[in-house]
Amino acid sequence: MELKPILKTLLRNKIGVAVIAAQVALTLAIASNVFYIVRDRVAAAGQPSGVDEANVFRIRANSYRDIAEPMAQQKMDEQMLRTIPGVRAVAMVNQVPLGQSGSNSGIFVARKQVQSTTNAAFYESATSMVDTLGLKLIEGRDFLPEEYLETDGEPPYPTSLPIIISERLAQLAFPTQSHFAGRVLYRGSGDDATELRIVGVVEQLTTPWGRSSWGSQTGSESVITAVRLPSSSPQYIVRTQPGTQTEVIKAAEAALVKPGDGRILEPANSMLELRERRYRNDYFLSSMMATMTGLLMLVTASGILGMASFWVGQRRKQIGMRRALGARRSDILRYYLLENFVITSLGIGIGVVLALSLNFFIAEGLQLARLPLDNLLVGMLMLWAVGQLATWFPARRAAQIAPATATRTV
Amino acid sequence: MWNYYFKLGLMSLRRNPILTSLMVLILGFGVGASMTAYTVMHVLGGDPIPHKSGKMFVPQLDTGSAEDYKAGDEPDLQLGYLDTDAMLRARHGSNRTAVYGIAPIVDAQRKDLPPSGEAGLAMTRGFFEMFELPFRFGGPWNAAEDDAGSDVVVIGRVLSEKLFGAEDPSGRSVRLADRDYRIVGVLDLWRPVPRYYRLLSGSSPTESEQVMVPFRNAISREWRNDGWTNCNGSSPDEPGFAGFLKRECNWIQYWVQLNDAAAVAEYRDYLAAHLAQQRKLGRFKRPDNIRLRDVREWLAFNDVVDADTRLQTYLAFGFLLVCIVNVVGLLLAKFTARSGEIGVRRALGATRGNIISQYLVETVVIGLAGALLGLALSYAGLLVVDHYSFESAGIAKHDPWMVAATVAVAIVSAVLAGLLPTWRAALQVPALQLKSQ
Repeated sequence: MELKPILKTLLRNKIGVAVIAAQVALTLAIASNVFYIVRDRVAAAGQPSGVDEANVFRIRANSYRDIAEPMAQQKMDEQMLRTIPGVRAVAMVNQVPLGQSGSNSGIFVARKQVQSTTNAAFYESATSMVDTLGLKLIEGRDFLPEEYLETDGEPPYPTSLPIIISERLAQLAFPTQSHFAGRVLYRGSGDDATELRIVGVVEQLTTPWGRSSWGSQTGSESVITAVRLPSSSPQYIVRTQPGTQTEVIKAAEAALVKPGDGRILEPANSMLELRERRYRNDYFLSSMMATMTGLLMLVTASGILGMASFWVGQRRKQIGMRRALGARRSDILRYYLLENFVITSLGIGIGVVLALSLNFFIAEGLQLARLPLDNLLVGMLMLWAVGQLATWFPARRAAQIAPATATRTV
Repeated sequence: MWNYYFKLGLMSLRRNPILTSLMVLILGFGVGASMTAYTVMHVLGGDPIPHKSGKMFVPQLDTGSAEDYKAGDEPDLQLGYLDTDAMLRARHGSNRTAVYGIAPIVDAQRKDLPPSGEAGLAMTRGFFEMFELPFRFGGPWNAAEDDAGSDVVVIGRVLSEKLFGAEDPSGRSVRLADRDYRIVGVLDLWRPVPRYYRLLSGSSPTESEQVMVPFRNAISREWRNDGWTNCNGSSPDEPGFAGFLKRECNWIQYWVQLNDAAAVAEYRDYLAAHLAQQRKLGRFKRPDNIRLRDVREWLAFNDVVDADTRLQTYLAFGFLLVCIVNVVGLLLAKFTARSGEIGVRRALGATRGNIISQYLVETVVIGLAGALLGLALSYAGLLVVDHYSFESAGIAKHDPWMVAATVAVAIVSAVLAGLLPTWRAALQVPALQLKSQ
């Protein structure tokens, strides 16, 4: 067993060992926490919206003059969009998933409740949003044609509305139930709260804000109502046949607003664009952190490499002697790799403690859950690999040292 | 003597170019990364208006319902129209302004320039003075126009150059939606980071607002808030915009200037009196819950330096720490390899102090080179942040203070890294080294 001479040598080189072990420990502490944060962000940014994202886009027209018949204008717009070849479905909506602007309201399970159960995004859709977004109904049905309500948005307000909700909202409102169609929720509380009758449940529909980082909000509490309101800046969602989106967008942008009709076009956004915009900061943070961690590993590797090269240079004579006394090349190689393994393991041991305390500090400050151990394990394996790899080159050089070196004086 | 050490340092660095560049590179990366992150935090967390930040206040009133009130609840960040209107009329404090976001469509009525949507602000005249907006041409609208809500507009430099080129458009008119507005002034570039005058904007524009109209004008035109609107309480009986104005909806950012502690106390009394009076009309069902935060308190309360920014900074300094430890290792190896040389110098009469000075000078040289690289890298880093992040767009500039800080951090890092190896080198017994030769 070679461990004993290695330990003896290392004890005589305490500072060098400490420097390498400290680097390994700090790197492990930082890297494992970064893995965790990046994983959390990527999960948030990749959460499914429930929408057929590859084939849906949003387009808007803003009017700057009073429009005599806004309802008629909206229906004309929808009709025009439907005639574009490649279009599967069109709906006018008040807000779009991941669009980052819209309205939400407190949801109550009973009229007399004081605190709302949760906040939910309120989608208003003039035609089937289930069809247009490609949502998956898991219970109940879509709205019936006669359920779509045209209103000017002024009092008196409807006292009761049919709604379709996301499964997440259903589970929040009725945690002990498994069937939700036919149940009733309220928008607001008290006598003038609007009664909301659940007619259907969709598997997933993300809010305009999506999942916030740090997991405080799931971003999946959504309500769809069947309401058409007059709007001076109506927005339309369009679902296209696969592969036709680019042409459909071009045609829609060209046809929606005509010169002189008092409206300007807001360029279309595909769902993929909206997702990219919504999570841009998270992507940015993740890629920056990943880059820094990569650099950190490189720096640590260079430190290990430098120290190992130095030790090899210092011990040329001793190595030559060992070779002359019968040690094989592989013995020399193994010696250095084992030596590095001992130092790296020491660093990793300290690093685990550091990583957990750093995580404690971060988790306190940022409302993040505790570091899962698999992240720590990945960090440990990576550092062992980095250490062995960085030692490999100097160790190979050491193994090449000729036994005759022992006979030379300097 | 120092000059000689400096030369020796340079020579020794040149003798080992790979090791030297590795040290400079590592130090440069560490300094670059940490100073990039620190600059972002420094700018975001900085005081946008240092000479006045203690005199400008945001009043908050609590219009929530009585049933779900818990002690310690924070009032909304913005005010509703009823209170804004009353507070503007009462004219308390030495200056005041109410501001909300608008999204007017600007029509130059030119064939070559189609109408375009612009981000804008509706605000009272006090805004220009309180936030010290720089004018390129003209000036603010006057008090009479402010009160009457006339069709006047101040435009930003970007929009002005788009519509009128370099000339002064004061006095000319521009069409907002379907009505002509007289241009009274053009702002120069004005883009404070953070956007403290209106933190709660709905969208994050990459350019500051280019169209500014009187608050009362926007109200009379029934322009709704382009931004965060929070309503509670029951729906109005009155339809339309008039009904919206009477609702308990909070959507207007209000600022008041109070020059001393007495003025602050007086203003608190005024707000309390306002609440008492409004209670008689059936409003404000919660106990008195008033906040009056100055600029710094307001920025801190709104988490302008968010958790992400802080996290990046901690990470970057962690990175710098690893870099320093790394350089310690490299210097240790380097100085130990030169034990023989040190032995000879000591034997020829050099004191420990001489050796320490010489080697510290060498590390300072590395520090200077690392500082240069770090400065360049942090500038590049800021450009990247500028490009990708809305909140901190426009911060890619080093003020002299940050340049000095970067150089200082680099040199301190290098010296820190050099202390232990230098001390070890100086401790060597000359005889031992000479013998082993």
